[in-house]
Amino acid sequence: MILVGELSLWVALLMAAWGTTVAFAGGATGRTDLVRSAERATYAMFAFVLLAAIGLWVALLTSDFSFRFVASFTSANLPTVYKFTAFWAGQAGSLLLWALILTFYATIAVARSRRQDAAMRPYIIGTLCAITLFFVAVLCFGTNPYERLDWFPPDGSGLNPQLQNPGMAIHPPNLYLGYIATSIPFAYAVAALITRRLNSEWLSAVRRWALLSWFFLTVGIVLGMWWAYVELGWGGYWAWDPVENASFLPWLTNTAFLHSIMVQEKRGMLRKWNVTLVVASFLLAVLGTFITRSGVISSVHSFAQSSVGYWFGGFLLVAIAITVYLVATRLKDLQATARLESVVSREGSFLFNNLILVGIAFSILWGTLFPIISEAVRGEKITVGPPFFNHVNIPLGLALLALTGIGPLIAWRRASVANLRRQFTGPVLAGAAAGGLLFALGMRDIPALIAYTLGGFVLGTIVQEFAKGTGARRRMYGESLPRSFVRLIARNRRRYGGYIVHVGVVVIFAAFAGLAFKKENDVTLKTGETFATVDPYGHHWTFTSNGVSRFRMLNRDVTAVTLEARRDGKLAGLVHSEKRQHFDSRNVASFEPSTEVGLLYTPRQDVYVVLSGVADDGDSAVLRVTFNPLVIWVWLGGLIMAVGGLIVMWPQAERRRGQGGYRTVLAPEGEAVGAAEGARA
Amino acid sequence: MNPEERVPTAANLSLTRRRFFAVLGVGAASAALAHAGFAQQSVVDGFNGPMDMDRYRPVRLPARGTPPVLSAEQRDALEHRIHCQCGCTLDIYTCRTTDFSCTVSPRMHRDVVTLAGQGYDAQAILDAFTGVYGERVLMEPRKEGFNWAGYIMPFAALAAGAAAVAATLRRWGKTAAAVQAATPVQVDASPDELAKLDALVRRDDA
Repeated sequence: MILVGELSLWVALLMAAWGTTVAFAGGATGRTDLVRSAERATYAMFAFVLLAAIGLWVALLTSDFSFRFVASFTSANLPTVYKFTAFWAGQAGSLLLWALILTFYATIAVARSRRQDAAMRPYIIGTLCAITLFFVAVLCFGTNPYERLDWFPPDGSGLNPQLQNPGMAIHPPNLYLGYIATSIPFAYAVAALITRRLNSEWLSAVRRWALLSWFFLTVGIVLGMWWAYVELGWGGYWAWDPVENASFLPWLTNTAFLHSIMVQEKRGMLRKWNVTLVVASFLLAVLGTFITRSGVISSVHSFAQSSVGYWFGGFLLVAIAITVYLVATRLKDLQATARLESVVSREGSFLFNNLILVGIAFSILWGTLFPIISEAVRGEKITVGPPFFNHVNIPLGLALLALTGIGPLIAWRRASVANLRRQFTGPVLAGAAAGGLLFALGMRDIPALIAYTLGGFVLGTIVQEFAKGTGARRRMYGESLPRSFVRLIARNRRRYGGYIVHVGVVVIFAAFAGLAFKKENDVTLKTGETFATVDPYGHHWTFTSNGVSRFRMLNRDVTAVTLEARRDGKLAGLVHSEKRQHFDSRNVASFEPSTEVGLLYTPRQDVYVVLSGVADDGDSAVLRVTFNPLVIWVWLGGLIMAVGGLIVMWPQAERRRGQGGYRTVLAPEGEAVGAAEGARA
Repeated sequence: MNPEERVPTAANLSLTRRRFFAVLGVGAASAALAHAGFAQQSVVDGFNGPMDMDRYRPVRLPARGTPPVLSAEQRDALEHRIHCQCGCTLDIYTCRTTDFSCTVSPRMHRDVVTLAGQGYDAQAILDAFTGVYGERVLMEPRKEGFNWAGYIMPFAALAAGAAAVAATLRRWGKTAAAVQAATPVQVDASPDELAKLDALVRRDDA
């Protein structure tokens, strides 16, 4: 099976080269037989890449250390589940996973593209085959997972302990699913640009893929935050690390696109902008890979670096050159078919929402690349850490939060003063109440106060929208409140699913703002000693050490400490933190010691305990005890966003509703509220 | 082959001289940026590798007979502004309190404690560290000289974007007004019906 897998990779390379050639030739000459051949090549690509992946999995699970990849990232005593996930622990495996997902997506996209304009199909297929050709070529010539060693080592080097974590088992595949999904809209954009079929039709297919990308990026980013929080042990979940930033960039442009596409669908505007965002999302996904793989920028997440970064740099340049050329030569075809009637309109607010989202993306990209730019200009290496990103992005993030509440309150085309007053009164009062209450309770941190005030405003907007919708349904159909609520969402998943995503955004912003009140303590405790402190809410805590213990478990030596935590004298729980020293099957220590954080979750705050080390006498634990307010809400906010995203993506809603929008029914005043909401084309 | 089966051919890929140079310019700029990135690689490679415990350099200042001016909390806050040089991306407070294996951050911490104990303030300690390690020891660039580009550029780009959006809106507004004035629309509906339709359109804002 391993040999079949190895050979399959080369056959996949030939298939990708063939598919690329005949697809573009078929498009240029109009020969459908060539296009059909390219389509079959796409399916074959997936089959052969799948065989190649299965071959590597077999090699990993059978511990065939004759392969460099297997010997580098596994060991005989590695738990089986992590032998399986070691597939994406290294460069070659993660690129093979990338190729596998890409060809899987390509197969679905090509099969579905039969419904598309026949002129675009060859170029969609050709572009996807070309992207696959690049990835498989990197695998064959740059970093081959089937590279063999000259000798057969008795054991492998093992898997980095930080990757032996459930979060790390599922976080990278999710991120890859998100990154790679940007390839399909990119292929459609290239096809639409080449054929000059730049109406809104191609966008309907693209929107689903952009949503899919957004969904997986959201899940992947939040899982990555959780992994960093529980595994790295530095006490936070987001450090503005270059690799974190790289995953955030396409998420931002995807989010911008998912808003601006509505403007094109409804009003025929922002056509150039939408093409630009689709292309930018793909290029930023490739840039993220370039940053992760090349080692150009220092990162704690770069577990798989090598010279293939140069391949990605070259690919990025070619992709930029082609897309810039295509967009530049088709500007006339990208003219808007309608004009903005008023800045005070839904489309106007989306323009500003896009401006802020892309502004944040630019500021993050700029901050990530600034050390390189600075050294190139001044010859002085600098560090651009979290303080820089916080300075720049907190104001932009707050502006974005405000627009999250403002956008849904403004009507399409033009909003009257009376309409604005009616729409804004409730949400503004909700925001003011939230901010005023917190101020009265003693909160004085200005950014946090603004965040909670705006959060109240956005939640007020969402509650008002749901209340109006359910109220209208109850009046029109006589439904019960729960039934009308569920049906309201079910009948307009895109709109109300989007509002649920906004709820998740508010929850996450509220959790971020909570970090302003984080409190850290650095203590050393002997067995039986107690440390007393006060949390950000004013509660008195004591932590008593139950002593340091050492034991051997599976493939690691463990040094552990357990603290008895009491809040205001009452037992809150036991917090257990570990340092782990992994060893290989010859009992030789492998890798640096890793941390297992001790956590006490509550809705108000996490008690986060890290065993930093053991003092000289062997009985004293050196500890860092941190109160992290509202962290659990980051994970809940991410979950809410994912649920909202799933509701928006649910395919049935898409099939029911045509892209033409809604059928508006003239009805007597009073019955008309929400009538349009229920009607479907 | 049946002629009806033929796929329409690609659009004409005509290229004017201006477009050619525009594409060439973008390509050259991208290549220059990438070259700068690649040129960096040789410098940064070592920085990315496993922790380098030899990166520690003693930071010393002449002893002074003045009492400490920094409290323990202020000293911890200062350590959050100093980048550990072991090869990680953390500040020395976070690194030394969470990373069991790092020997650089505890030594840098001892330097901070010594200097604080000698009565030096936060700025003097930061200057001393910068003098030994260079500006990379700071968690964020100083707001001076070329570094201002780092701080200003995101907001400048945002302002430029806002200006571009405003200009586009103004142009669209004029065009819309001109089109509306030039082509009056005849609608077979009473004013009441139009008012109801208008109200529905405004509410149909999904």
